Amino acid sequence: MNQVGSVGLIAALAFAAFAVVAGAVGGILRSARATRSAERATLAFFAMITLAIVALEYMILTDDFHNAYVAEHSNRDLLTYYKVAALWAGQEGSLLFWTWLLSIYSALVVWQNRKKNRQLMPYVVAVLMGTGTFFSLLVFFVANPFQELSLVTSAGTQAFSAPDGNGLNPLLQYHAMVIHPPMLYLGYVGMVVPFAFAMAALITRQLGDNWIRTTRRWTMVPWMLLGCGILLGGNWAYAVLGWGGYWGWDPVENASLLPWLSGTAFLHSVMIQEKRGMLKVWNVVLVILTFFLSIFGTFLTRSGIVSSVHAFAQSNIGPFFAVFLSIILFFSVTLLFLRLDHLKSENKLDSMVSRESGFLFNNWILLALVFAVLWGTLFPVISKAVQNVTVTVGAPFFNKVAIPMGLLLLLLTGAGPLLAWRKTSFQSLKRNFTLPLILALIAGIALAVAGVRDFYAWMTFFLAIFVTICILGEFGKGALTRMRTTRENFALALYNLTMRNTRRYGGYVVHLGIVLLFIGFAGQAFKTDTKGLMQEGDLLRVKNYLLRCDGLTTGDTPNYEYTRALITVTKDGQAFASMHPEKRFYKASQQPTSYVAIHPTLSEDLYVVLAGVDSDTGKAIVQVFVNPLVMWVWIGGVVVLLGTLLALVPSRVEREMAELRQTQELAVQAGDGF
Amino acid sequence: MTSKTTVRGPGSEFRSQNRGITHGRPRTPDLGLRTILLTVTLLAASVARADTARQPTVESLGNQVQCVCGCVAPLNQCPHIDCATRTEMQAFMKKEIADGKNETAILQDLSLRYGVQVLAAPPARGFNLAVWILPGAGLLAGLGIVLVIVRRWRGKPAPLSPAAASLPSDPKMLRAVEEEMKSTRLG
Repeated sequence: MNQVGSVGLIAALAFAAFAVVAGAVGGILRSARATRSAERATLAFFAMITLAIVALEYMILTDDFHNAYVAEHSNRDLLTYYKVAALWAGQEGSLLFWTWLLSIYSALVVWQNRKKNRQLMPYVVAVLMGTGTFFSLLVFFVANPFQELSLVTSAGTQAFSAPDGNGLNPLLQYHAMVIHPPMLYLGYVGMVVPFAFAMAALITRQLGDNWIRTTRRWTMVPWMLLGCGILLGGNWAYAVLGWGGYWGWDPVENASLLPWLSGTAFLHSVMIQEKRGMLKVWNVVLVILTFFLSIFGTFLTRSGIVSSVHAFAQSNIGPFFAVFLSIILFFSVTLLFLRLDHLKSENKLDSMVSRESGFLFNNWILLALVFAVLWGTLFPVISKAVQNVTVTVGAPFFNKVAIPMGLLLLLLTGAGPLLAWRKTSFQSLKRNFTLPLILALIAGIALAVAGVRDFYAWMTFFLAIFVTICILGEFGKGALTRMRTTRENFALALYNLTMRNTRRYGGYVVHLGIVLLFIGFAGQAFKTDTKGLMQEGDLLRVKNYLLRCDGLTTGDTPNYEYTRALITVTKDGQAFASMHPEKRFYKASQQPTSYVAIHPTLSEDLYVVLAGVDSDTGKAIVQVFVNPLVMWVWIGGVVVLLGTLLALVPSRVEREMAELRQTQELAVQAGDGF
Repeated sequence: MTSKTTVRGPGSEFRSQNRGITHGRPRTPDLGLRTILLTVTLLAASVARADTARQPTVESLGNQVQCVCGCVAPLNQCPHIDCATRTEMQAFMKKEIADGKNETAILQDLSLRYGVQVLAAPPARGFNLAVWILPGAGLLAGLGIVLVIVRRWRGKPAPLSPAAASLPSDPKMLRAVEEEMKSTRLG
């Protein structure tokens, strides 16, 4: 199987390189034949990488420990779905997986555009396969997962099969971890598609709305998947790492946030180009930046240039990524400068108080946030280089810098959509904002009276109420207007209103999801925790919860041994929950890990960790957190996901316009025929 | 100053096209909205004041320092839950809090005892000042760029490039098409 995988890789590399050349030739010579060849080579690239993936996955699932990667990252007693996930548990496998996802995106782009965007496609294919060539080179020559396990003896090196593998990193043996990396990678990799279209548009000087319209969904999907990946990573950290939080501003977490933020900026600013023909240069810059940051995130995760808890994927491939990043930057920025004349704005700004300026301010804050997070992430490296002192730039820095910017963004989440295109009058501002402000103010006073003394938390709740009322007001006013004119009932009017402009109302749902996320974040300000030694009959109190230890049990599974604490919880004297946190010891990797017991509710999570057993007393070391509002982070994530899916559904207006365009094109063609 | 805007059907998305256009003489913000905004500002200021007056706790300090056991994690997130180093650092913090020291003084004492690396964010002096200043400078520079762009946009519109001129994205044309759709009951 190693040979099959290697053949797949080398063939994929050949097809990718051919597609780059054929695409470029097809574009320069306007040769449809060369372009078709490039497209077919892209499909062949997909087939060959799929072959390599199947070969590696087959070896993992059949415990073929002749393969060094399989022996390093799997073991016989690993559950099947974790074996599937072992594909992306290590450097070599995850790079192959990255390449496979790229091949899927590329094949989909080729298939979707087989009859359209014919001028752009040769260059789109060339850029996609240029990226494919880089990753294939990396996977084949630098991080090849198809290496035989070998034994070095005095007689020389000989092939060797281990009786069992080292097993999957215990921290990765969690259900969210099975889908977190694929989601994250789908997000990272997907950003190559808008980049490829942007580059093709720059090369061909086709810089109107077409490339923007084509890539809008191709940006939304990876943006959504990247967001899901980030949240699933947070969920993993929360449930597995045992420190009671979901976001620690770790460099690798930051690396995933950066392209998501710049992608968010693009999804907003692109609307100005579509509606008003403005911000054309800026949109190209954002597409370049988002793709750059996606690759940069991969570089940061794997190069080991910054200290991170995600140390399992570090290696020496950093310089290769640095070269690739330099090529991307040089190629795209040069092209952008050469085409500046074709990216002039078609309209002017009518007023400082308008939807356009709202988007501009949104972009300003998002990009400032990107800069701040990037700067804070890289500063330890810069400090080491400049003053030879290792400093830590952690949560206190990021919280101080990012929270105020985040709150400004939250404000714009509600205020921005209520601003009219071109110009907003004071009367309009007053009409739209007075009621939400009054209601938010009443809630703010109530919160202050109730004892909320954390400024950022108070401000978050205040803004969350303001934004929610603004957004719900938009739905309500729209539905009421529709009820008056169409005599539909409220529910039907709301449905039709939404389906008529899914992009707008899907966007509102996304904004509501963001509000819920912020409410969840604010809950961190009120976190409580305690720690104690417990044996059967011992009690531990935290807030209004009383935990009673009913004993410790031990057990053994083929994969790990465990110690489990049996804890009964009462809340305000009433029976509340039975919780069973575990301390596990994984046999293959010889590593311990905690299995946290969480009892989630809408108001707060009770989070119990069994840290271990005290060697002196034999008592369980139990740490208990009460984490308010965490559930709203996950609910907010789901709402963002649903809102994005809604925005991806073609709206009725969009469909009608497309039909009209098609009819006009047919009419023109019929006219030409005569 | 008025602006003709097409109302394409029910729903606020259509009304939003013309709801913001000013009519007649420019107005100044009235007392009601001013009062609300002023009240919000005063309330926020009082909450902020109460927030800064709060005493440090072991929990709040634990987020500001790194555990020095070698785990590369903030003290509150040290994965070694029975970590002796963490216990010792927390005991030191408790003593400092009991002595009535404020957050800044405790963090200073911690950095004297364990080295500057113990701080989860570098102190704002010397070269490390850059890490604190640049995000704010970046924010201001960004604002400057936005304002320059806005100023330029409010000047004369740039001539259309040949590529842009041939595109079907002209708002007037789109409006005309939408009118047509409405009149033919497509809208």
